[in-house]
Amino acid sequence: MAKTKYKAQFYPGVTVPAKNRRRFIDPSQKLEKLRDVPMDDVVKILGHRTPGSDYATIHPPLEEGVEPDCPVRALVEPIEGAKKGDRIRYVQFTDSVYWCPIIPYVRAQMYMWRFRGIDTGTLSGRQIIEMRERDVEKVAKELIDNETFDTARTGIRGATVHGHGVRLDQDGLMFDAWQRYRWNAKKGEVEYVKDQVGVPLDKPVPVGKPMPEKWLKEHTTMFRADGVDMRDDEEVMRQNLRIHTLRTKCGFKPFDVKEE
Amino acid sequence: MSKPASEEVPLPEIQIFPERLLHAETTETLLNKLHKVKNVRKITVQGEELPEIMRSGPGTGGPVDHPNRKLINVAGEEMELRVQVGRIFVEICDLDFVPQALKDVEEVCKEVLPFNFTLEVGRYSKFKPTVSDYKKGLVK
Repeated sequence: MAKTKYKAQFYPGVTVPAKNRRRFIDPSQKLEKLRDVPMDDVVKILGHRTPGSDYATIHPPLEEGVEPDCPVRALVEPIEGAKKGDRIRYVQFTDSVYWCPIIPYVRAQMYMWRFRGIDTGTLSGRQIIEMRERDVEKVAKELIDNETFDTARTGIRGATVHGHGVRLDQDGLMFDAWQRYRWNAKKGEVEYVKDQVGVPLDKPVPVGKPMPEKWLKEHTTMFRADGVDMRDDEEVMRQNLRIHTLRTKCGFKPFDVKEE
Repeated sequence: MSKPASEEVPLPEIQIFPERLLHAETTETLLNKLHKVKNVRKITVQGEELPEIMRSGPGTGGPVDHPNRKLINVAGEEMELRVQVGRIFVEICDLDFVPQALKDVEEVCKEVLPFNFTLEVGRYSKFKPTVSDYKKGLVK
């Protein structure tokens, strides 16, 4: 197959949110690691299995060779969990509108560029990833440890995710009706006391200090009227308008679309 | 929950809109101080619902135990706070008393709330029963 000369541009614009979006989406950019939550703690928060237990399987390992012959199977390298026959499990992040580092739509774009073997779904305030169990655990750890996660304004919530558009509470945490995490004033950090579906944990899992407001505003991917207005970024607006025009016209009179 | 009752004229309310959602302790202190403000007729709180039990997911039926859903004592009366308070409506018994009440409410808020807030005068909560209230059997 001939190599294409196309070079991905990821996201237009010159403003801070546009640059951050580009940085998050571009897989060649290494994201800053802010914390190191132990893998066992991540597994506890996900709540799919007990740390140290075996992975449940839904089919025999691929190396046993019971799969039918298929050119696509030969072409695509399976991810680790698929090789072992793991079941599909999920992790879901909720992002507050109050300057959380990443937003669901950008999450989707970032995941598609950075991870293989995922199925992701975007909603207004949350983003789910479905993946083979051992792979989803690795991805969850990466996303909790890196700069896309703020301990106060990003939540790990499998159900009852409401809170992303609500004011923060007195401690500066995003509202959670099930209170999966709480502010530990003594240590000055956030700790999870329940897993992502609200089942209490044996002991709290600390995830670290929330990032300062200044840092959040420098790392935001969010265009806001009280921050960087999207209308201030001419290239972003031009691109959005183009997509909007093409979507509208192509559904209505595609023969009318004439672009140079 | 207060019983819906009709008023002939909708009375003015002062809306307190804090920058953050309040903890139960702050709500309790604030309500007790607002209760002492002159010409206050009724105080209504509004906010995010805090369920007692989980209603979805694998933990359905399990307790939530949210620290902000608890019994609070307001003016000597114990009541269960079931929301994380985000807005407070202070009803004043006459339009003429609103300017002074507004000053007093502002003083109380400055004293109790450790963050910004805004105050507005208007009518925010319902002042006569709605069709739903009749359907729910709250009004005879």
